Amino acid sequence: MAMLNFERRYRVRGGTLVGGDLFDFWVGPFYVGFFGVTTFICTAVGVAMIVYGAAIGPTWNLWQINIAPPDLKYGLAFAPLKEGGLWQIITICAIGAFVSWALRQAEISRKLGMSYHVPIAFSFAVFAYIALVVIRPVLLGAWGYGFPYGIISHLDWVSNTGYQYLHFHYNPAHMIAVTFFFTNALALSMHGSLILSAANPPKGEPVRETEYEDSFFRDAIGYSIGTLGIHRLGMFLAVSAAFWSAVCIILSGPFWTHGWPEWWNWWLNMPIWR
Amino acid sequence: MSAFENFYTQVQVWPEKPEPGVAGDRVQREKGALFYYWAGVIGNAQIGPIYLGTLGILSLVFGFFAIEIIGLNMWASVNWSPIEFVRQLPWLALEPPKPECGLCIMPPLKEGGWWLMAGFFLTMSILLWWARMYRRARVLGLGTHTAWAFASAIFLYLSLGFIRPLLMGHWSEAVPFGIFPHLDWTAAFSIRYGNLFYNPFHMLSIAFLYGSAVLFAMHGATILAVGRYGGEREVEQMIDRGTAAERAALFWRWTMGFNATMESIHRWAWWFAVLVPFTGGIGILLTGTVVDNWYLWGVQHGIAPAYPHLWPPVIDPAASGAAQ
Amino acid sequence: MKYAAAFLGVVIASLLTIAMLFTAGWVRPPILGQQAGFRGLGMEQLTTPAARRKLELANVPPDAIPMPPAEGPKATEVYKNVQVLKDLTVVEFNTLMAAITTWVAPQQGCAYCHNTDNLADDSVYAKKVSRRMIEMTRHVNTDWKAHVQNTGVVCWTCHRGNPVPQNVWYDNVGWPQAAGFATTNYGMGHPSAANGSTAMTQDPYGALADKNAVIRVQATKALPLNSNGASILSTEQSYSLMIAMSQGLGVNCTFCHNTREFGQWPESTPQRLTAWHGIQLARDLNGAYLTPLKDVLPANRLGPHGDAPKLDCATCHQGANKPLLGVSMAKDYPALGGTPAK
Repeated sequence: MAMLNFERRYRVRGGTLVGGDLFDFWVGPFYVGFFGVTTFICTAVGVAMIVYGAAIGPTWNLWQINIAPPDLKYGLAFAPLKEGGLWQIITICAIGAFVSWALRQAEISRKLGMSYHVPIAFSFAVFAYIALVVIRPVLLGAWGYGFPYGIISHLDWVSNTGYQYLHFHYNPAHMIAVTFFFTNALALSMHGSLILSAANPPKGEPVRETEYEDSFFRDAIGYSIGTLGIHRLGMFLAVSAAFWSAVCIILSGPFWTHGWPEWWNWWLNMPIWR
Repeated sequence: MSAFENFYTQVQVWPEKPEPGVAGDRVQREKGALFYYWAGVIGNAQIGPIYLGTLGILSLVFGFFAIEIIGLNMWASVNWSPIEFVRQLPWLALEPPKPECGLCIMPPLKEGGWWLMAGFFLTMSILLWWARMYRRARVLGLGTHTAWAFASAIFLYLSLGFIRPLLMGHWSEAVPFGIFPHLDWTAAFSIRYGNLFYNPFHMLSIAFLYGSAVLFAMHGATILAVGRYGGEREVEQMIDRGTAAERAALFWRWTMGFNATMESIHRWAWWFAVLVPFTGGIGILLTGTVVDNWYLWGVQHGIAPAYPHLWPPVIDPAASGAAQ
Repeated sequence: MKYAAAFLGVVIASLLTIAMLFTAGWVRPPILGQQAGFRGLGMEQLTTPAARRKLELANVPPDAIPMPPAEGPKATEVYKNVQVLKDLTVVEFNTLMAAITTWVAPQQGCAYCHNTDNLADDSVYAKKVSRRMIEMTRHVNTDWKAHVQNTGVVCWTCHRGNPVPQNVWYDNVGWPQAAGFATTNYGMGHPSAANGSTAMTQDPYGALADKNAVIRVQATKALPLNSNGASILSTEQSYSLMIAMSQGLGVNCTFCHNTREFGQWPESTPQRLTAWHGIQLARDLNGAYLTPLKDVLPANRLGPHGDAPKLDCATCHQGANKPLLGVSMAKDYPALGGTPAK
């Protein structure tokens, strides 16, 4: 069941990081492993807490459900369950689930004889999440600085946290992060479309291979980065976007409390033109 | 974990002469290529040859006009001071016409005329470049997927600078040229129309933007991770599946119960990337034309959470009809 | 040559990085935070202990000169040419004059306003200005309780020992631009202290002198009513004004607004109401008291357009959301319209 025709010969024992052969099995298409078990537990508890939080809240409207962090007055202590404690438990569960997921990816990489690029890339996303709900709140001295769990409520948090710095677009790290996000989308569209255009030529033409891909981009923009290079570039752009996003929010508050536009005064006031 | 993870090329092998590339019609590629070490660290060391052609040259000329108009106006706005030009460059602007102008075609040069001209030349340049992308693909017997992906970005560009201003009846609604000025425009646009975060197409656009980062991280990392099995030769793996494609597929099947194929991952990629500007453009076109205040729209449609009030309600002091 | 260029690039990049790291004014934890709205809403004011101390030091009020009991003859009976402080006794009058001197012209003394040979003489322009300013102070303390409440203001609130308050504004000429047909950008595209180093309007204060200027830009209905809503240009002008206000008060946008929708009053904090009255107050004072002074003030006190100095939020607040951090000096000076403490 649920196996690809070539899958059976890849389903072999070994490669686990923790737990030996104990959890070395599959459920349907999913590989389990020790970290599959921890992912499942963390996710189950976390989702249950979210559902509980919604149940004691004022609404079941999916857009409006809001599980908010504690008030600032609780500092870095535990808060009562219904006044932010739930948020704290969910955060712990989420981090547990994300880290387990990354380690499970590492185990699967080992089982398939692959390098660790996927868990490395994913760890940047986990870092960005931890930056928002742990690193920055700890630096600022209260869990209340974390973002609330809710579809619209987290957007309201983004809005207010941004306007704490009057005009967040002037945050230099935010500029870098946004640039990486846009460049990533550009590179992804160029890569996706190039492969599709080579594999789906006009009617009657043969499928084109690498030489044509290179020629197309050399003709068009003067450089073809090549089949391996584009994946290096893509991974770099994607993880850089996550990394600089984390940097831009860690700077905001712990290391900068004024409006971000004011930050640029160092440039305006440099002695060479003062 | 200390193994070499193939993040860069350790040993570069260069051919004696640059690859001339495959023949298209009337394209000569003997000259204009060189090898550059630092490019070879990440990707191909060969830079060039580029194909210019009529469309390319026209596009560059129009692009030059646009940049020239923008740059000289910016320089004039600091009274031709070269030092202040560099110092204030990120702040310098070329603003669209005033609101009073509406859609006037001949505003005074100093009040938006230059902006209209620069916008016209830039648009010409971009459209010619689109035609060039289409032509280059056809000449090589490739599909035109790149051109259509580019068209999606052009749709967003035209929505911001042309279509929406037309619908609103004011050039002044369009984006100014300038680094910080366009950021100010973005923030003001969101404030004026009641918070763009409540615009569902803005939500979709951001979801696809973040999704694109997730997809490229997943895809790039997967291909690099099966690099030792030749995974980067994707088109070959599509037609003649090797162990690289099998392992890449199984990795995601085992991780999340689902996998793309060597071809379909590129369809996912194409659609995610294309939908970023496409949904964004729709969101822009709806703003001000169909919806004037996205937050209030959100309240009407029941998506805005109600937060507990910590103080007595604040009432608009001007509600009684006094001045604002 | 190739290496020289690379070396030069590295040197410039390093210098810029060092300049950025050491001159941008970074802070570090601990950070003092104050929550305004519901938890998790992100409505917070952040500062550092050092910035807090600096603000406290800058806002220590001078010792009050105690006002004597209102006994003895009226000032009008003894002095000539008393036009405003007619209700004071001579001792009250003299004490107030002494206090004003320490607040406004501690270096220059009485002679800053008075002809020392004849104190009743109106020949010094500063005396005429002072008289008008005393009227203004009384007006603020009695008619603008919606903004100043019972805390009130005195000369010190703005002057802080300077004959001209440090935070005043003039109609701006903007950055010098090339003449002719080059773009004007309507005063945008240059950083200034007033616009908080953004590229928006360099001179956002106009709405504080013009009673008819419209600051509100957001639509009040979800769907468009007509095509005559506020432009992006006027939105940026309002945004720039709000940034100037934030800087004057030493707070960020979330002090008054839940920024998910700036215009919504039910979403706003009570402070927004105070600030709204502050805008009306600034318009009133600029229009009725300060702008007309252009006929009294000498040329060197006027702005480049020949206009009188005008006030904005920073004039009194000076980076504190309550001037002098809420200390009432006016309670000791009923002569200036202050409300005595109970």
